[in-house]
This record gives sequence, structure tokens and C-alpha cells, in this order.
Amino acid sequence: MADDAHSQYSEPHVLDQPWRIWSSVAVLGILLSGVLLGVLIIPIVQGRGAGLDPYTAICRALGILPGSPAQPQPSDRTPPTPVSQVIWTPGVLQILARADVRRGYAKVQEVCVSCHGETGVSAAPEFPHLAGQSGAAIYKQLFDYRTGSRTHPLMTDVAKALDEPIIADVAAYYAGQPQRNPNPATLAESPPAIVQLVELGDPRRNIPPCAACHRAGAGGPIETPVLAEQTAEYIVQQLKLYASGERRNDVYGRMRTIASRLTASEIEGLAAYYRAGFR
Amino acid sequence: MRNVERLCLAHFWVAFGAFLFAAVIGTWQMWVRSPLGANVGTPGQYFMSVTAHGVSMAYVLTTFFIMGFGYFVAVTALNRPLPGKVWAWAAYWIALLGVVLTTIPIATGQASVLFTFYPPLMASAWFYIGLVLVVAGSWVWCVLMLVAMRAWKGENPGRPVPLAMFATVANAVMWLWTTVGVAVELVFQVIPAALGLVQTIDVGLARTLFSWTLHAVVYFWLIPAYIAFYTMVPRAAGGRLYSDTLGRLTFILFLIYSLPVGMHHLLMDPEHGNATKFIQVLLTAFVSVPTLLTIFTITASLEIAGRLRGGRGMFGWIAALPWERPMVLATGLGFVMLGFGGFGGIINMGYGMNAMVHNTSWVTAHFHLIFGGSVVIMYFAIAYEIWPRLTGRDHVSAAPLRLQLWLWFFGMMVMTLPWHWLGLQGQWRRVSNFNYADPIIAGWGPWVVVSFGGGIILLISAVLFVRNLAVLHRGPVFAVARPLYALAVHPPQRVPAALNGFGLWNVLVLVLMVLAYGYPIAQFLIEPSPSAIVHRVQ
Repeated sequence: MADDAHSQYSEPHVLDQPWRIWSSVAVLGILLSGVLLGVLIIPIVQGRGAGLDPYTAICRALGILPGSPAQPQPSDRTPPTPVSQVIWTPGVLQILARADVRRGYAKVQEVCVSCHGETGVSAAPEFPHLAGQSGAAIYKQLFDYRTGSRTHPLMTDVAKALDEPIIADVAAYYAGQPQRNPNPATLAESPPAIVQLVELGDPRRNIPPCAACHRAGAGGPIETPVLAEQTAEYIVQQLKLYASGERRNDVYGRMRTIASRLTASEIEGLAAYYRAGFR
Repeated sequence: MRNVERLCLAHFWVAFGAFLFAAVIGTWQMWVRSPLGANVGTPGQYFMSVTAHGVSMAYVLTTFFIMGFGYFVAVTALNRPLPGKVWAWAAYWIALLGVVLTTIPIATGQASVLFTFYPPLMASAWFYIGLVLVVAGSWVWCVLMLVAMRAWKGENPGRPVPLAMFATVANAVMWLWTTVGVAVELVFQVIPAALGLVQTIDVGLARTLFSWTLHAVVYFWLIPAYIAFYTMVPRAAGGRLYSDTLGRLTFILFLIYSLPVGMHHLLMDPEHGNATKFIQVLLTAFVSVPTLLTIFTITASLEIAGRLRGGRGMFGWIAALPWERPMVLATGLGFVMLGFGGFGGIINMGYGMNAMVHNTSWVTAHFHLIFGGSVVIMYFAIAYEIWPRLTGRDHVSAAPLRLQLWLWFFGMMVMTLPWHWLGLQGQWRRVSNFNYADPIIAGWGPWVVVSFGGGIILLISAVLFVRNLAVLHRGPVFAVARPLYALAVHPPQRVPAALNGFGLWNVLVLVLMVLAYGYPIAQFLIEPSPSAIVHRVQ
């Protein structure tokens, strides 16, 4: 009896072996047919249609070579012409992260102070305030002046005299200055159309909202400058330079596209908005 | 036993509290996206809300519900005390701490990265650390489920593990496999970046690791619904389960085919070759097998019940089913939503068709219909079924329960069918507002308003659900003990080890994962791609 009970409840190994074999065969068979189709048959057939040899087509299907196995690679070999030489590599970010504020201050005292002020509050409205500006934004502009991506009668020579670590130091020094104080009291003066442009843009003219990039943490590119409390004269001047294409160091031509779609009164209004303060 | 009931209720109330909160803000989101609420709220508030909605629904509701339900099944299906009750409570508090840590940065706007993270967007590190703690709590649960099954097997050598527990352990095993991807992403990529230790992140690798988790996580949420289909519905309908073996096969197939398929979420991503996408899409097609098996088995089980109740003819058995019982009603409504959602999912699965609907409302509609519809309606039915066992009080009347289920069904259909349509029109998802002044977008307006109406119905249903459960705690009617789990037509006396454990299947999953994800992940290490600069949202 005890033996019977034991045989009734023991793990049925005899039943088990076919399960092990056939489930493995089924699962691996499905996988193998996927490999056969996806890695060999489809790429070879597609590659033939695209004029690719089987080896290239298979390598492309696996992602070892770039491109699609179904299409010949575009033959355009024109080198790209970047509008800026700044590349945000980890190395550049390290240079920015390791910037020395004291060295930056010394250089500011030596070079920048006469126009941009010791604390980044500029001496004249055509010079931008730099206090509290993003370090990456200052770095990008100085680097662009240095490489000729952006030109200015004074700044080009100034930037060419600075090497990369010093640029980062100066950027870090001004970035570390207290932000200019937003003035919420003056916000009410902005006309609703301008506030709308800042907050929602104008989709009918394909103008994105300024705040999509220029608000802290909004998601714009790393080099996006802070606009709050900037001088109105400087903003107007730069938007006009973008609109005319004279300034062209904006990646993908973003600001040239936007500025060329703004009316003169909108440019004035936006400049007044950002001079007034920040929401 | 009282202690286990408190343990289950503690989990369920966290889950349903999060659910109610997420239902409220979800409705708000629908309002501000519709022409009725245009210009209400800022984009920042919208994305904060979407993040909170996704985290609450996808992580808090599901994880806590599944843990609570697992403890319940381990005690009731195995009919033995829960091992490691102290560990279970510890896991509960760890996960709850995780929820609190995650909530704070979301509420302060420092984690508006949605529940799927989207690196290089970077939230406060506490957001991710909190989620890791939620997962850590669920790992303890997985181990406890495995320990409970092993202990039962030790006491019952050679006997088949009850199907409800077998399925629960299948889910636990799958969850352990599933969470490896996201855990590696968070621990080695995202959290170091969030802490500021590194300034760049390899987005391709992060997305690949997340895709490892992204499809199986959905089956983690789904399996409790399937456990109810197989083990509770036939009994509730007054019949028997058509086949216990098909049930076991279904859960095994979920374990195998939910994992090496995640790349179908990356069909539009450039970092993988066509061949690996093809292989994973082919494997994805096999995910439909366990669902089709289930539709067959449960329909057959219901037919048995209907005929036992006197139903005749080709369809007479359907009318003879006890539709007044919430479990049966929820199954019927759930199947309808599963049908629509499943067909929508097959569109997403196809490379070419996916290109048409990718990043449109179609996808949002699909996962709301499958998860929010067929899965969550079964969560409701499970809660209604087991609440009397947990509280000792019975429902005074099933009418408010039925009303709630019908409202959920109608609300979900009214909300998601227009979304599918809008997705085909090209309405993009993950955006905070639409410019209805645009003539093309203006045409979407009425559909968005209709779907918002569906959202309101869903909110009413959610409130009614929580009310239905809450009143039971002080209800006047004492519960009478009833059997819960269905017997099979042929109750299994002995099953092969392959259908009674997971050793073989774990080996096969390992082989599939190595072949499906080995090179796609290794390529990032062989030839590191350019990394993206971390973008901190705070």
C-alpha cells in the first residue's frame, strides 16, 4: 500500500522527459526560424533589390554596419558645415565642471570688467548682462567668437586671446553671480499677445513658445541663455541680427527661423517682457 | 489568519488609494487637453500630473495589488500559513517608503519625466530611489511566493501545485526576470546621472534596458486578471474549469514570451538592426498564444456553466450565465475590452503599421483599454470577491457593484475608442495642449470632448468602487464562507514536473534572453555610442 501511495504521488519523471525535449524544440525552433528569416532570408532578398551583396545586407540587418538592408546608402558625401564648433562632449562638460572661479575673476578684472561689469551687470545697454547667465551659454558664445562662428568688432579679438580653460573659468565666474532680480511688479504691463507668444508661441506661424527653451529647466538645448532681466536693447539687436541672417551661430537655425517670423513690434514687446522680468 | 488579512488589506488600500488619486488627476488631464479646458494649467503642471498618474496607476496600484493578492492566494490556495510574515510586513513598509520618496519630487515638480523616465530627462534622484524601493519590496514578495510554494511541495510531494498558486509563482518568477532590465538601467545609468556623478547618459542603452522590462511589466499587471479567469470565474459562473493543463501552459507561455519581446517598443529607434527587431517581433506574435488559449479555455468553462444552468442551443448558454454576479459580468466586459485592445496591439506589433500610429493617441488608447480596461476591471472583480473574506462582511446588494463595473466599461470604451480614431488622424501623445485654432486640429476637438466624457464616467466609477469597498468594513451583513477556487473538469492528480515548477522554463528564458538581448546590449559596450547630455528637469 505504501508503495502504491508513493508511486501515485512521486514526481513522474517518465512523463517529464518528453516535456523537456519538446518544449525546448518548440521554443528554440521558433527562435531559429526567426533568426533564419530575420538574419538571413529577408536581408539577402531585400539587399538584392537594393543592389547590396549578401554580406553587407546581413551586417546591416544585424546593425554591425550602418544603414538599412533594404536601401542603398545615400551617396551624398558633402561634409556638413556646422554653424558652431562647440560639441558638448563629456570632455567639454568636464572642463566646465572643473572651472576655477578665482582664475575667472582675475581674467574678468583684466578683460571683461569695462563692458560687462565686475558682477556681470553691464555698463551700457548694448552690452548684455552676464550675471547669473548659464555657464554653458557664456562658454558657447565665447567659443563661437574664438572660432569665428559669431563675430563682433570687440568680442572676436577678446575671445581669440583666451584659451579654452580660461573661457570656462570666466563663464563659471559670471554664472556664479547672483541672478538679476526678477521684477514681478512690472509683469502686468506686458500685453497679452506678448505673454501668449512667450507661453504658447504662435502655432499658425510655426513659432514655438520662447518659454519652451528659455525658462529654467524647460528642456531647451544646454546652451540656451537666460533671458530674464536682459537689456532690451541687446535682445532687440540680437533678434534683428538673427532675422537678417547676420548672426548664424544658432544650431539648426532655430533662432534665425523664429526671429525672421517675428514682427518689429513683437521684437520690441518681447524685449520689454524679458527686461521686465521673468515668470 | 487575521494577520494575513490585515496584510492583504494594507496592500489593497495603498493600491486603491493611489488608483483613486490617479483617476482624479487623469480626468483633469483630459479636461485641459480638450477644447473645454484649453489654456487651463501650464505645461509644467500637465506633465507633473501625467507623471503622477502614470506612477500611481502603473507602479503603485499594480505592485501593491499584486503583492496583496499574492499573499491572499498563498494562504487560501495552499491552505497553509504564510511563511515569513515579518518579511512581508517589512517589504510592505519598504515599498510604502518608496512611494513616499517618489511622491515628494513629483509633487515639487522635480520629477516630471513620466513613469517611463525618458532619459536624458533627469528627475531628482529620490524619484528613482523611491521606485527602486518599491521594486525591492516586490522582490521580497517574489521570494516569499517561491518559499511558500516550495514549502507546500515539501509537504505534498508529487501533488500538483494548485493552479492559482502556480500562476502566482509564475508571475513572481517573471517579475524577477523582468525587473533586471530596469534595475540595471536605474542603478548603473540613471541614478548616477541623477546624483550628478556623470553628466551624460547613453540613451540607446537605457532605452534597450527599459524595453527588457517594458513589455513583461504589462504581463506582471495582467496575470492577476488571468488568475481570476482561470481559478475564480468558472466557480463564480457555477461551472468548472475546462482544462487545468491549459491554464498551466498559459502562465508558462507568459513567462517565456513576455521577456524576449520588448524591442517591439523600439521599432522606431535607430540603435538596433532590423534583424533583431524582426526576431523580437516574431516572438511577440507568440505572446498572443496564451491569450487565445485563455479565451478558448474560459469560454469553454463558461459554456459548461451555462449548460449546467439549463442553457441550450448554440448561444443559449450565454444567456443562461449568471451575469448578475460581478465576477462573471467583469469577465464578459473584460473580454470585450481585451478584444478591442488586443487587435489594436497587433497593429502596434507590426513594424509598418506601428510606424503609422507610433507616438499617437492610438498607443495611449491601446494601453488604457488593455490595462485600464480588461485588467483593472478584473482587479475590481477580485476585490469584490475577496473583500468579504478579508473583512468578514458581505455586500448588502450586488447592484452598486454591477453599476460600477458597467460604468467602468462604458467609460473606458467612450474614452479609448475616440483616442484610437484620433491616433489614426495623427493626434500626437505626450503633449500638454492642442491649438484648436488650427483648422486640422479643430476637427479633433469633438472627439477629444467625447473621450473627456468617458473620463468623467471613469472617475464616477472609480469613486463608486472605493465606496463599495469602504462600506463593507462596517457592513451589516456577515460573510458566509463559500468556496472560491474552481475545480477543473478533470482535477489533476499528477502533472509532469515541467507543469509543476519553473526549472525548465527558467533555462529556456535564459537561452531566449541571451539570444534576443545579448548582442543588442553588448553592442553598446563593444562600440560605445555618443552619449546624451543629462537634462535635469528641476
